[in-house]
Amino acid sequence: MTAQEVRLCGLLLQEHFGDVVEKVGTHLLRNGAQHLRAIVQETGTPMDLVKKSLCVLIQHGACAFSSGRKGPGSPVEYQASFERILRILRYPRYIYTAKTLYGDTGELIIEELLQRGHMTMSSTVKTVADRLTLNMEEGHSMEYSEVSNTFSKLVETHFLQRCPPVEVAGKAVSATPDPATTPGAPANNTTPSTPESFADCYKVPHVTLIGRGKRRNSSEDGEDQRNAKRAKEDPETHGDEGIYWQVNFERFHLHFRDQAIISAVANKLDQMEFVGKSGDSGGGMYVVNLHRALANLARATLESVVQERFGSRSARIFRLLLRKRHLEQKQVEDFAMIPAKEAKDMLYTLLSENLVQLQEIPKTPDHAPSRTFYLYTVNQLPTARMLLQNCFKTVANLIERRLFETKESKRLLEKSQRIEAILASLQASGAEPEQLTEVEEMITPPEKQQLESLRHHINKLDSAENQVDETIFLLESYIKSTATATR
Amino acid sequence: SGDGVTKKISLDWIKELCQQFPQGITDQVIQNDMPHLEPQQRAMAINKLLSLGQLDLLRNSAGLLYRMKDTQTASKMKGSDNQEKLVYQIIEDAGNKGIWSREIRFKSNLPLTEINKILKNLESKKLIKAVKSVAASKKKVYMLYNLQPDRSVTGGAWYSDQDFESEFVEVLNQQCFKFLQSKAEAARDSKQSPMVQRNSSFATSHEVWKYICELGISKVDLSMDDIETILNTLIYDGKVEMTVIAAKEGTVGSVDGQMKLYRGVNAIIQPTGLVKVPCGLCPVFDDCHEGGEISPSNCIYMAEWLDF
Repeated sequence: MTAQEVRLCGLLLQEHFGDVVEKVGTHLLRNGAQHLRAIVQETGTPMDLVKKSLCVLIQHGACAFSSGRKGPGSPVEYQASFERILRILRYPRYIYTAKTLYGDTGELIIEELLQRGHMTMSSTVKTVADRLTLNMEEGHSMEYSEVSNTFSKLVETHFLQRCPPVEVAGKAVSATPDPATTPGAPANNTTPSTPESFADCYKVPHVTLIGRGKRRNSSEDGEDQRNAKRAKEDPETHGDEGIYWQVNFERFHLHFRDQAIISAVANKLDQMEFVGKSGDSGGGMYVVNLHRALANLARATLESVVQERFGSRSARIFRLLLRKRHLEQKQVEDFAMIPAKEAKDMLYTLLSENLVQLQEIPKTPDHAPSRTFYLYTVNQLPTARMLLQNCFKTVANLIERRLFETKESKRLLEKSQRIEAILASLQASGAEPEQLTEVEEMITPPEKQQLESLRHHINKLDSAENQVDETIFLLESYIKSTATATR
Repeated sequence: SGDGVTKKISLDWIKELCQQFPQGITDQVIQNDMPHLEPQQRAMAINKLLSLGQLDLLRNSAGLLYRMKDTQTASKMKGSDNQEKLVYQIIEDAGNKGIWSREIRFKSNLPLTEINKILKNLESKKLIKAVKSVAASKKKVYMLYNLQPDRSVTGGAWYSDQDFESEFVEVLNQQCFKFLQSKAEAARDSKQSPMVQRNSSFATSHEVWKYICELGISKVDLSMDDIETILNTLIYDGKVEMTVIAAKEGTVGSVDGQMKLYRGVNAIIQPTGLVKVPCGLCPVFDDCHEGGEISPSNCIYMAEWLDF
């Protein structure tokens, strides 16, 4: 794990789960699989807090547990998943995609499941129905069945999947046989089975869910409080107890990948109608084409970076090297038609930024410089890896800046929140307009300006995170596909 | 004696043939022209001319070539010693690409001082000349006096007095692109089926070449190869794509049964997310970390960008 990766995960964990979870999670990322006692000792965190943190991480699929490596009887070990934690960055894109495909209902279902990690179908449906009802006109409410429908559709199209049943002392709890794990799996089986190795992964359970969303009259108390209260109050059962659902990230990624490829091809064909994808070539052939598509997208990404950072002539040199693989300096000048002095400058700059590499080919055994070929070259895969790390660092930078901006204006934000609260309660108790105005004016115009500016900054930083995540997605997809392509 | 006259006539005849074909003649050519001459007599005549130093003996892929020796050169070289002759030969062998003095030294194993003296001598006799090479402005290559320097030395169409004409290249680059762009637009506006549109947005290198020639923006004659070099830079700019198709021999613009087709294209992605934020373009990216002198919290680029 690189330092940048750990830093970014730490920031994401802290924002979403708080300091304690961040401490435990970061510790696991840095130190690999560990058992409970080790975590307690090394982080200096009380046992019960560590347990709670682990629960949160496991609930969200960010941490897995398995039997100890030292044989049966050794304590269970916990391991954090860097990749899963990084996905937090992509939540907005998953939610937005669900919205485009399945409307507001789909959006809220995905949002709820991302927030909670695992949920049963029935509780998801009820929560979402309530939320939708809140936004509807007075007297209208959302039918549970409508939400259930959308939920089923999300399962049918594999955007949602069942959480794999938990293995208790090496034996699966669910009744369905497990073909993926090795037969006679002992307690020591540490190979993680994927959710899709379970036959019922995409089977919608039979639930009895009749009713409509309920409108709550409480004010803006924390949503968590409300949900927690309701969860405790709700004694109903609907026939799907113990069947938990999670968002299937890989399915969303397939969708994003297809989108990227289609839009790239559409750009190439000048927005003309492009009918379908690359056909139904089966099995192996399809995989190769996909790898090439992803490689092209990654290459375009690298070219884009060089172009924006160093200008179009450096980009020309870069593209030239990508196509011709190895070139001497003179050849670069000639093909790119750039004067020798400038071409040399650009090449050295790209070299110093490690975007271009120099390969020495000696003509004679003594490796004398005057009798050596010096060839410039671009290695796409290592360069993509390097840029990916840069993306991680960039996102971490953006998050830190956002936290800093919020901290700087902390006093002002708190003041603004207090005034909002006062206004709300005054309005509720039917105050005079003059009183309201008096309270509003407690925020001075310059302070209003500052708040507005802060909001603008936060939004910009937020959307910037999403934009960089798009780059991360393309580069990661490409890097992953090379691993399978070379097999 | 008749034999002697025949010999003299043969010698003159062969010399005239050589003058008629300055690039050299083969034994077959002599035989065809003088069928009455016995092979043995032919051989003797050729050897006589060679020993007199009036003919040069060369070899090419077809076989042996006999070439008229430049008598002017021959007379000028009369006073030269073997060293001078050697240097001259080396320079002659380099053809119109020329050779620079250090290489002459490697090839002849003569000391540099000696070579420089010889070169000066040959130059004053107007047997060789020095040409500045575009490859290195300080480098001079030597070649025979009457030769037209090769393009690689003078730089060809893109160089004017050893200076690379960047502006000219840039203008050509833009004009070619405009041509291809308007062709693509015309194809789009024709509103035909997508594949027809795509195909009609292609232009052959010949078409582009013709367009540029008709524009008359170039002082020098540009070949189709020159235009293809320019079109290649557009490919490296990511603005143009090329395909090759088979063409019937004799089709206008085809070379070796192939034609190159070019077409303006859009980038396949928008500028990537990373470069839309300051960090993606930051020159001190590697020096930045929280708590350091340069950090996200105090970054001036971020501040500027946020207030934009």
